[in-house]
Amino acid sequence: MKNRNLIVGLFVLAGLTLFTVGLFMIGNRHEAFSRHIEYYAEFTDLSGLTKGSKVQVAGMDAGQIIDIAIPPTPSSKFRVHIRINDTLHGLVRTDSVATIGTEGVVGNTFLLIHPGSPQASAASPGATLTSKEPTELADLLDQGKGVLTDVDVTVKNANGLLTSVGGNLNSTLTGVRSTVGNVNDVVVGIKEGRGPAGMLLRDPELTTQIRHVVSNTEQATANLNHASGQVDALVSNIQSRQLPQKIDDTLGSAKNAVSNLDATSLQLRQTIAEATAPDVQGVTAGANIRESLSNVNAATGNMADGSEALKHNFLLRGFFLHRGYYNLAHLSPDQYRKDRLFANPTNPREWLAGDQLFAVDANGIESLTVQGKKALDDAAMQFGDAILSTPLVIEGYSGSGDSAEQSARSESRALIVRAYLESRFHLNAGNLGAVSLRSSPPPNVDRSRWDGICIVVLKPARK
Amino acid sequence: MIELIEFIGSVSRFGFRVIVDSLRRPFEGAQIMRQVAEVGYRSLPLVIASGFALGTVMTLHTRNTLVTFGASSMIPTVQALAFFLEIGPLVAGLLLAGRVGSGIGAVLANMRATEQIDGIESLSIDSFKFLVVPRVAACVVALPLLTLFMDFSGLLGGFLSEFFSSHIAFHLYISRAFSNMSWSNFIAPTLKTAVFGFIIGVVSSFFGYTTNEGAQGVGKAATRSVVFSSLLIILADVILIKLIFFAFPENAL
Amino acid sequence: MTSETSEIRPAVVFDNVSKAFGSKQILRDISFAVPAGRALCILGRSGTGKSVTLKLLMSLIKPDHGKIWVEGDEITRLNEAGLSKVRRKMGFLFQDAALFDSLTLYENLALPLHRLTTKSQDEIDATIDNVLSQVGLAGDKQKMPVSLSGGMRKRAGLARALVLEPRILLADEPSSGLDRITAAEIDELLIRQKTQHQTTVMVVTHDVHGARSVGDLFAVFDKGSLAAFGAAAEVEQSENETARRLISEY
Repeated sequence: MKNRNLIVGLFVLAGLTLFTVGLFMIGNRHEAFSRHIEYYAEFTDLSGLTKGSKVQVAGMDAGQIIDIAIPPTPSSKFRVHIRINDTLHGLVRTDSVATIGTEGVVGNTFLLIHPGSPQASAASPGATLTSKEPTELADLLDQGKGVLTDVDVTVKNANGLLTSVGGNLNSTLTGVRSTVGNVNDVVVGIKEGRGPAGMLLRDPELTTQIRHVVSNTEQATANLNHASGQVDALVSNIQSRQLPQKIDDTLGSAKNAVSNLDATSLQLRQTIAEATAPDVQGVTAGANIRESLSNVNAATGNMADGSEALKHNFLLRGFFLHRGYYNLAHLSPDQYRKDRLFANPTNPREWLAGDQLFAVDANGIESLTVQGKKALDDAAMQFGDAILSTPLVIEGYSGSGDSAEQSARSESRALIVRAYLESRFHLNAGNLGAVSLRSSPPPNVDRSRWDGICIVVLKPARK
Repeated sequence: MIELIEFIGSVSRFGFRVIVDSLRRPFEGAQIMRQVAEVGYRSLPLVIASGFALGTVMTLHTRNTLVTFGASSMIPTVQALAFFLEIGPLVAGLLLAGRVGSGIGAVLANMRATEQIDGIESLSIDSFKFLVVPRVAACVVALPLLTLFMDFSGLLGGFLSEFFSSHIAFHLYISRAFSNMSWSNFIAPTLKTAVFGFIIGVVSSFFGYTTNEGAQGVGKAATRSVVFSSLLIILADVILIKLIFFAFPENAL
Repeated sequence: MTSETSEIRPAVVFDNVSKAFGSKQILRDISFAVPAGRALCILGRSGTGKSVTLKLLMSLIKPDHGKIWVEGDEITRLNEAGLSKVRRKMGFLFQDAALFDSLTLYENLALPLHRLTTKSQDEIDATIDNVLSQVGLAGDKQKMPVSLSGGMRKRAGLARALVLEPRILLADEPSSGLDRITAAEIDELLIRQKTQHQTTVMVVTHDVHGARSVGDLFAVFDKGSLAAFGAAAEVEQSENETARRLISEY
């Protein structure tokens, strides 16, 4: 009798153990026994996402969808209730984006939360995350159509505004053209054997930088190509609408500019291939290559920021977003003026006048003079060791020309100076910012107009 | 046809009586323990061995197919889902119908033939509560547990088979095995075997308890128990799966 | 009814009892009474409803109509609780002993004691030892029924029937399948039970020799009817030929 009870007890216990093991195995995945945090995301199209679908944060299984509220009208969205493991809380920021992903070709759909940026604050529980609609093949086609519709709208707008802003597009394209010219100059400079090869071989950092520039250029080119494709569509659209010939011409030249840039980038790549080849020419031209690099930087800066109008055009927005130069360089002037960190009046500043630093060449492009470099060295020395460890921002100012010109020039000045200081003192690029402020310094400083540059040492913000 | 309807009616009444009597005092605890030992523990070797073998064979088969599609990482998932959802519950049910169903049918028929049931009644012991209810209860309790043994030994068999093909780590196998599993496709299929247990217990007891053909009724009762309970299990499975899908719509694959 | 039976209060009375299984009429209007402390042997050819009589008495089956009294209680009208009380007074030795296969001899005897009495474990053990030694199986307590011989099984079945100290002992074919000597031993046990404990005994048997040694009264069943009832001498004088042949056939 006792023996039998033992047997039954063992059997039942073993069975229940297996049951519990099973529960916990599944429980582990669902994080049922750990702390949770819940968010929401909204989608117009669920792409097969259902209650119980997996949720990943930065590719890690994090939880599941616990509910989906169906919208009452087509205009509102599906509200997806997400539950994830509390331990991943730190990755979900206010700027995190939720997208819908698919496992493999025939796999389940799941929700992917992309980690936000470290600057953004952590998303509070119950927050609604920004969502990006799924991009399936069919959707891409739809989007293409959408783009065309947008273009259509843009063209209509442009048509309406043609008289008032007619020159705008033109000046933008001039900017692109001058950029291309710049890059060309660089390439020619390198090609003309101002002896970069030896330097390049010696200095891997410079090589990396050139590569960086080239890849940026390539990316820009790809973006521009993409844009040109859309522009093509735009053109045919416009042609079919028999809009003024002027726009047609303008777009044509935009296309040309893009293909120019393409060719340039090819040339540049070729040049670098040549330069890194073992035919050493000499080591005398170190300063030249530095200057060239400054030029390239300036040129790219020009290319990017000189075309203020383009920046706000959806066709090229991606290009600017992807430019990814230096973090501090991302600062928009507006942001810069407002941010407590930059607007701190106690930040040490060193003002340098433009005519003291720069000389203008035949193409109207500025570069640092020898005296200018000396002045910069002296200015940097004012700050002592601070420049090696503390973030610096180079404010570029330009007082002449219209606002676009001011913007372009002040940006290029800031970039030139930044490139110079970076290479001169081997500064960490991430600690070195550049911002274009046209002619007006930020509030709270003792100057209301400036033409030149100002080096600002950023003091840590008071907490 | 009439006989069939009569048969269904009498089995249903029998099952109903089991439910009613199981809720009525006295509860034959010792008898239930005895039967759980008989039905559950004694069936373990059969269930574990079958689960293990079936797990191995399943993996050998699915492996070829999945490798063709480049989905060899799905092997543990497929294995676990197949076992936990259907193979474990159904095969455990059928095995138990064979082993226990025939046993119950034969034992009760023999007790009827040798007047042991009368003997129990003559002691004023409710033979139905004493013999039938504990057997059904034991089946209801033991089958979900046996199913779990089946599931896990199947998983183990699958793992070993896969280990010898691809040297997969145990942890990886287990984590992949459970990666697509939700509670509802673990708990519901496991618990549905309680219904299988009820079917086995009731059908086998019915044939054994109600026989009145003496010694030759014993073999007949055993055979009928196995045939009818297996058949009913499969039929019930169809309905239960539908019910589970109804209750947990996300389970429907 | 004989004058002998009316003197003492009857332990068992059958009054116009009929029973049919399906279309087959087994018992037809059976009426008889057994005085307390007497032994009744029921004789008859196979399939004439002798065993059914005992099962009716035990309420294992219900009569189609008619009444049955056991020590003054009309059992066909009793509920389960009342039946339980009546059954408690009776011990039943089944044809093949009907020992529970899954239990040891000891457990077979302990089961009714546990179920139907309030005896302590020690008392139960004492009772079982006592009963087993009466039937000569004292050393076989822990054996399983399958390992017992036919005679031992019968004696074990008798022990189980006696363990509750019944006032009425029913025995279905106690000597069937046994050799003469073993059968005589069983008969001896029945007689001893009757004489020592004043137990009313009802025996269904084919063994007329055994029956004449055990029985005070005899009932002969023929084709579902009671062909003759009374002491041996009365049955021998019966008008019914089957009864006369059966009682003298030894």
